[in-house]
Amino acid sequence: MALIDLITRDVVKVPLESTSKEDVFHELVDLLLKAGKISDPDKIYDALISREQLFSTALEDGIAIPHAKTEYVDSLIMALGIAPQGIDADALDGKPSHLFFLILAPPSQSGQHIEALTEIARATKSSSFRRLLMTSRTPDEVLELIVDS
Amino acid sequence: MSGPIERILVYIDGTEESLTAAQYAIMLSKSVGAMLYGTFIVNTHALNDLLKSHIFVESEQVEYQRDLEEDAGKYLNHFETMAASKGISVQILQESGIVHVKLKEMIREYDIDLLVVGELSRIRSRRDEFLNETERAMRNAPCSVLVVKDEDRVWDLFEHGR
Repeated sequence: MALIDLITRDVVKVPLESTSKEDVFHELVDLLLKAGKISDPDKIYDALISREQLFSTALEDGIAIPHAKTEYVDSLIMALGIAPQGIDADALDGKPSHLFFLILAPPSQSGQHIEALTEIARATKSSSFRRLLMTSRTPDEVLELIVDS
Repeated sequence: MSGPIERILVYIDGTEESLTAAQYAIMLSKSVGAMLYGTFIVNTHALNDLLKSHIFVESEQVEYQRDLEEDAGKYLNHFETMAASKGISVQILQESGIVHVKLKEMIREYDIDLLVVGELSRIRSRRDEFLNETERAMRNAPCSVLVVKDEDRVWDLFEHGR
């Protein structure tokens, strides 16, 4: 499944209002709730935190990919939050995280989950893509960038 | 006399499109009398990449690989059952590695004449064109490739064909 099929206007938050990793998770989970993608935000949050306890999902170069496999979603879903100011999310390189790609998949869709994670990893290797995404001001700008990337 | 299609390989990845391709390949194999192979390739290359880039931890890699292997078994069994319902015996090939590379190897190893794949998802970004595994398989296959479209027509053909 293509990234652009997962990221719709209603699951993009720019700029994020949160100032901590946990609050970002809450903010993005709330976004998914408002978009009608989930019905039990607490279970989703718990699944994300459980995965986070294994190892931080904040990587390098300002990218974080919080993800979880959970029976509380029916299909692969995603939310994207952008924090121009940067948030300390225990990143591998110790730098602030700016782009939060949150991905949730049911246990039956491991293949698609892997495809989506791989696609994000590949897309965000481009420094110009990262930079443009970080300076996006609206969900429409974000969607345009993903289509053009 | 041998025909142009003697050995068909269908690529199954668990999507609806690939299962439609499998139905079409079964009917085609029955019609032309070709041997039919079906494969599901567990993309261990992608799993390794996710581990290397720290997106996955080791326990996740193991867990997801096991999930994919179970999927492979499930979908290949389904393929075998569908073929048996039409009186066709098939050879199933459960593999792992880089999808388009493995397909290329199998095509050579089994002397496949025709690779059958499901309909490609609509290209919506430039990146899609280069990353879709089916797209790559089509471009790299050393044999002719048939892209199966029109799910309803294929379903009808499969359900009502003999």
